[in-house]
Amino acid sequence: MTATMPTRALGETPSRDTITSGHSKSRTPLIAAVVALAALAIVGFTLGHTAPTWLDAHVRPWFDSVYKWSQLNNGTNWAFRFVFHPIADAITWSNDKVLALLRALRWPGMLALTGVIGLRTGGRRAAITAVLALAGCGVLGFWDDTLITVALMLVAVGISLLVGIPLGIWAGLSLRADRVMRTILDTAQVMPAFCYLLPLVVAFGIGIPPAVMATVIYAIPPAVRLTSLGIRGVAVTSTEVGTSFGCTGPQLLTKVRLPLARRAILLGINQVIMMAFGVVVISALVGTGGLGQDVSDGLAKVNVGLAFAPGLAIVFAAVAIDRITTGERPSRRKNAIANQAIRAVLDNPRYVGAAAMTAIVGIAAVAKMTGLDDFPQSLRFDVVKPVNSLATWANDHLRNGVPIVGGTGSFSDFFVTHLLTPMRDLFQAAAWWLIIVVFAAIGWVSGGWKLATLCSVCLVGIASLRVWDLAMDTLSQVFVAVLLSVALAIPIGIWSGRSDRLERLLRPLLDAAQVMPAFVYLVPVIFLFNVGRVPGVIASVIYAIPPGIRLTSLGLRQVPYAPREAALSFGATGRQELFKVQLPLALRSIMLALNQTIIMVLSMVVIAALIGGGGLGLETVYGLRKGETGRGMAGGLAIVLLAIVLDRITQAWGKRSSGGLR
Amino acid sequence: MRNRFTRSASVLTLGALLVVATACGSDTKAPASTGSVAPSDTSATTDTSATTEAGADISLAVNPWTGAAVNANVAKIVLEASLSTKTTLVDIDEKATWPGLDDGSLDAVLEVWPSGHGADFDTYITGKKTVVDIGKLGPSAKIGWYIPTSMLADHPDLATWEGFKDPANAKLFATAESGDLGQFLMGDPSYVSYDEQIIKNLDLPLKFVVAGSEAALITAVQQAEKDGTPLLLQFWQPHWLQSKVKLTEVKLPDVTDACTAAATANDGSYACDYPVDILYKAASAKLEAKNPKAFAFLSKMQLTTDQQNEIAAMVDSDGKTAAEAAQTWVDANPDVVAEWLK
Repeated sequence: MTATMPTRALGETPSRDTITSGHSKSRTPLIAAVVALAALAIVGFTLGHTAPTWLDAHVRPWFDSVYKWSQLNNGTNWAFRFVFHPIADAITWSNDKVLALLRALRWPGMLALTGVIGLRTGGRRAAITAVLALAGCGVLGFWDDTLITVALMLVAVGISLLVGIPLGIWAGLSLRADRVMRTILDTAQVMPAFCYLLPLVVAFGIGIPPAVMATVIYAIPPAVRLTSLGIRGVAVTSTEVGTSFGCTGPQLLTKVRLPLARRAILLGINQVIMMAFGVVVISALVGTGGLGQDVSDGLAKVNVGLAFAPGLAIVFAAVAIDRITTGERPSRRKNAIANQAIRAVLDNPRYVGAAAMTAIVGIAAVAKMTGLDDFPQSLRFDVVKPVNSLATWANDHLRNGVPIVGGTGSFSDFFVTHLLTPMRDLFQAAAWWLIIVVFAAIGWVSGGWKLATLCSVCLVGIASLRVWDLAMDTLSQVFVAVLLSVALAIPIGIWSGRSDRLERLLRPLLDAAQVMPAFVYLVPVIFLFNVGRVPGVIASVIYAIPPGIRLTSLGLRQVPYAPREAALSFGATGRQELFKVQLPLALRSIMLALNQTIIMVLSMVVIAALIGGGGLGLETVYGLRKGETGRGMAGGLAIVLLAIVLDRITQAWGKRSSGGLR
Repeated sequence: MRNRFTRSASVLTLGALLVVATACGSDTKAPASTGSVAPSDTSATTDTSATTEAGADISLAVNPWTGAAVNANVAKIVLEASLSTKTTLVDIDEKATWPGLDDGSLDAVLEVWPSGHGADFDTYITGKKTVVDIGKLGPSAKIGWYIPTSMLADHPDLATWEGFKDPANAKLFATAESGDLGQFLMGDPSYVSYDEQIIKNLDLPLKFVVAGSEAALITAVQQAEKDGTPLLLQFWQPHWLQSKVKLTEVKLPDVTDACTAAATANDGSYACDYPVDILYKAASAKLEAKNPKAFAFLSKMQLTTDQQNEIAAMVDSDGKTAAEAAQTWVDANPDVVAEWLK
């Protein structure tokens, strides 16, 4: 079970929605669509090659004026004084307390606490992995910085759950709420943190509060989505049983729905934590300190090893927390202890809990008395030098002069001249309305006129943000990155779906690729591929393939044994079994893999801009780094609209592929 | 199943309670800081020197470059040792620094590059008056166009902008991203840039490419140095890379009044060299009332370019931390420090 797999699907609902495919239903939508497209084409043609100037939502000046107003009035206006500032104070207060607790435990106590929680929630293996991973943070020499980061995470995760689970319950009970929330969550998830970080600083001050708020915005979607999913997934029979026994509404919720949705909610908690680790580095820009700051320091010195070491600590911390929150505890061994009296004590959570806590407190107290304040120097291991020598070696040997292929440098140049530039030129040279018509047509073929309308509206929206050419630049890069990711992820996923050994081998690598902040590998990627669009594409691919591999492998593994058995008994070869049985049956999962890949690539657009990617990502970078909030927001919103278009289209493919099989 | 849920919950609650119990004893001992504060390397000296009247605690912004870290660490040492003012250093982005000064959660920043913060100056210093300009830091900075010095041997005409008019010369700088034109590389988007205007108005066959971050820019420089390939970029003094890689500034047309006017009007007609950036210090308007001695000291503190470079070199070349380097320098220069405290 891959617990760290993010559920980033935009607006993934348990959808039992009817499959909207325009073909079979009636002719009316078809005619309507054709008429609409024709009308659009005529209108577009009269409007000309580029988007008309009147098509302007004035998003940029609007955000700029709001930002300017906030800058000037954040000391006096009631909204700041009585809403934002008290929230900020509460966040700072809780963070101080949590951090003080973590520090008071000392490192032996922290490790013991992790072990105990791991034992309760995930069994012995999970506990051992978690403790070793957390100790790894100390071994790397980042113990206190890890605590600072973990404290911030805990506060942000706490707020996300406090707000997200009730919202999720609401969305689970009301279809309308679900629909509204879906759009908001999509925006929250794809909108780059670079757009709203500076406004958050103006609202909440510097340091922990804006960092926590940014983390909450980014991490809350899985809490809402998975809670809603869990509530919706409760079988009607169960709720009917409840009603027939005379449950009131609240009783039905607390006694039937929530307990049955527990698994989904727990997965949601786990996902919230994993997402929260994704913004550690960005949030450090506003003055939080901790591991994120260490990564930034390494990056500022352009020192691969210095950025990698804290990045690895982030991975370790994430793995530790993931393992103790996955909640995959194996079933308790029966009759291990015969004596009833002892068993009664051991099974009583109060006794066990109290004993464990006494032990932890004892360890912390002993550690305090013996002066074990800091993680022991003797256990430290330096990864900076080996990583740097590896980076130097790669730089010396891979960039040029590799036989036949020529090295990464010339690969990069080839890629730019023969793929990225022609594609960008094509997209930018096409009339804006033509692109919209093409996307509307793709939408119509994939999911009917509703999807076609959605695609057109979103693309017109991008035009009205006045960033059309940049959006086309970004689209061409996303396209190439997705192609590359899919070309890598699906074969590897198929292989790992058929080989347990490979799956085991890949798991830690995929975990690391997903949680390792992209800032860590930016420098090595530019080393190898020169500044420009290619390093951005490569970084996106590194980030986007883990979910692709996982979902493909999962899809293959979920194919029931019966049809495979049947095929084999008819004399199918291994290859036939794969292509004729497993792959068609896993198609839905593979489509989801494609969908996830696209979303992940889009979430890397900003990072790509930091190494020469340009496009919409650079607009949002301007937003944060130059304080041009309106510009950043326009870029960020365009990324969101692009994501919605690509997400909905690929989701429709997923639905169709399952529909075709049944 | 439900049992397990309540069980875990009770364990966690119980744990939290017990931890609170232990923490109460040790709470006071833990550093009083939040995570927002960089661990202070020299805080050990603070407690012992509390002979004079202690001033209110202050926090200084540290922006992400060596010079900024050097200034702040020197100030911290003096504030703690001579003014008994507990000082925390906050690592923070340049832009986020201003809202911090505005609400007083940061007390001062000691190195502002004016070219990048015109809007902040207008908003907070002249507009809201919540931030005050507390004088020059001392060093001047200069942004400009740079090429690797080694290129001048074969192409001496590239020492001035006129050399780039020749398409053949410009083509030397062509990359996959710039196609037939020469590539002009700009780093972090937050830095002031007239490059696009200069290229257009001087009619140079160059294409403006944004690397996106300082790290990307530096990597490009290092790669060019290593491979001996041409590179034309926007860069600046002072910067630690200048001591490691030999770069030469390309001479652009002199700054004229017309250019200054064009920059103010922002009408796209800029066609000169970059003006010199005179670095200044800024403080929260609340600082003077909160800790007048610290305010007076920070207003008076100045470093010469040489002094700043000397301390920065200890960090960038000798591998010292900024705190160690600052301590070494303060110990060696008591007379300079005494002057600041008069």
